[in-house]
Amino acid sequence: MSGNVIARFLARRLAAAVLVLLVVSVVVFLLIHLAPGGPEQAAGGEFATPQQLANIRASLGLDDPLAEQYWRFLSNAVGLDFGSSIATREPVLDAIGRGLQVTAPLVLVSFLLICTIGTALGTLTAHRAGGSLDRATVGLALVGASAPAFVTALILLTVFGVQLHWLPVFGTGEGFAERARHLVLPIATLTIAGTAAMLQITRTRVKEVLGEDHVTFARARGLSSRYIVGRSVLRNAGIQIVTRSGTIVVGLVSWGLLVETTFGLDGVGQLLVKAINARDIPVIQGVTLVIAAFIVTVNLVVDLLYFALDPRVRVHAEARA
Amino acid sequence: MSVPDAKAAVTARDGRRSRSRSRARRTGMPVSVALSAVALAAAILCAIAPGLLAPQDPALIDPAGGLQTASGAHLLGTDALGRDVLSRVVAGARSALVGPLILTSATVVISTFLALLAGYLGGWFDAVVSRVADTIYALPALIVTIVIVGVFGGGWWLAIGVLVVFNTPTALRILRAAVIERRDLPYVEAARTIGVSRWSIMVRHLLPNLEPMIVTCFFLGFTYGMVELSALSFLGLGVPPGSPDWGRMLAENRVQVAQNPWAAVAPGIAIVATVLSANILGGWIYERLERRKRER
Repeated sequence: MSGNVIARFLARRLAAAVLVLLVVSVVVFLLIHLAPGGPEQAAGGEFATPQQLANIRASLGLDDPLAEQYWRFLSNAVGLDFGSSIATREPVLDAIGRGLQVTAPLVLVSFLLICTIGTALGTLTAHRAGGSLDRATVGLALVGASAPAFVTALILLTVFGVQLHWLPVFGTGEGFAERARHLVLPIATLTIAGTAAMLQITRTRVKEVLGEDHVTFARARGLSSRYIVGRSVLRNAGIQIVTRSGTIVVGLVSWGLLVETTFGLDGVGQLLVKAINARDIPVIQGVTLVIAAFIVTVNLVVDLLYFALDPRVRVHAEARA
Repeated sequence: MSVPDAKAAVTARDGRRSRSRSRARRTGMPVSVALSAVALAAAILCAIAPGLLAPQDPALIDPAGGLQTASGAHLLGTDALGRDVLSRVVAGARSALVGPLILTSATVVISTFLALLAGYLGGWFDAVVSRVADTIYALPALIVTIVIVGVFGGGWWLAIGVLVVFNTPTALRILRAAVIERRDLPYVEAARTIGVSRWSIMVRHLLPNLEPMIVTCFFLGFTYGMVELSALSFLGLGVPPGSPDWGRMLAENRVQVAQNPWAAVAPGIAIVATVLSANILGGWIYERLERRKRER
């Protein structure tokens, strides 16, 4: 019945996602032309001779019309060919793959921890709103949400790394165990920032839903608290929690970049920062496009989850269709 | 559990909360808000007259006295170049406050203007504005800003300009929703009926009623801006090298965190304290404005 509606909704969302990606690709493509000295200077470096610059122009096809160049760039990018790094000659895709080995566990583990701790604490404090646990948690969450990731990272690094010597403070580490040890503080940093946001939205929404009539009615019917929270309250609060999860994932990618810089982790974020400092344009373009594609996908998944979670969204979409 | 029981449990919980709220209302200002106001006032004082509070010249280099730990002469120690950390934290308040202030002012003015036009007039203008705002909103603001500012080799004004573009959709969404919520209320309809011009309705009738939302957006934009700008400075893309800035100090001094941890931690705490204070104060002012609006 609603398959058609979902398909139409999905088609609209996909079109919007493609539009966002096109905008990013144009910006990223133009960057190379707007950069001081133009693309050949960016590729050849400060000390390139005029002859070298001319060669670079020819080899990169920079004398072709702009539209043609953009089309070439776009069709390559669609085939995941972002060219090679100017600094290391390594294909950009390989460099991104290597970075993902650090960034993927960092973001994924943090996100799982944030979802578990954030929703659990949020639900608990909503039940005891006004109590001392609630007030302490809300206060801490406000501090956590106000602290930029690189500040939290630095404080954790100073306390647990430098003062107590419990954990390594710099680098990625070799082998699984060492890498895991090196990721503890970065994951803790991201978890603190994200949990604060997750807890705030869960607590607010659960508290609102708990005050609604259907919860009172469910209590009156003698349903257990666990049943009410699991079946009724969390599903009603679900939309806002899922929306916030999407924002948190996007945040984790941005803040992950700063955390990777602070802890000297060789992830995708660090790859981008290094490429920016070295003016390594193909790497900048590749990483930015991959990150944008990831974020657009996350937003799409969030939209689809609305349908799965809330029948009212389905009905509403059907009514409009 | 019977129905009255459940109701009683709910109201008991609410009762406890509202009692503590009303106590706060009687005394006027909760302690956290008072502390936030004091902290922000101190930061503003540092920004206006750093010489008044800084014990030393923040740029004074003392090669022999580098990386001292906290002492009577240097309350927070010195950095690698022997500059007094406390003085640099005090001097850093200026760029820390001025940047976000310019950023959020520009964002709020632009988004209020667009929200009034798009929300009240609707039509194609609303469609275009909303679509563009949604597209920008879907981009990872911090990363795109880092890329753009980075490729152009950094720059404080460029950073602010790019961030205005990326922060406007957030405020615009809040304000546009508020305009749409109000545009068919009786007072607006009445004004329309007696022939008040559209411009006048927007400026004289809708704008004043947006005040709580505008204040919220202002504080929100301030805290966002402070975090984003200090992050850019942390990556070396914001303020020029050498200038006292909290984000940049953190980046410069984190390498020597073993010798003098305060050199990096103190500016970090300054950022958190300012953002936290602005969050608390902003929330409190919003609640007061909303309450006053409702009571009227």
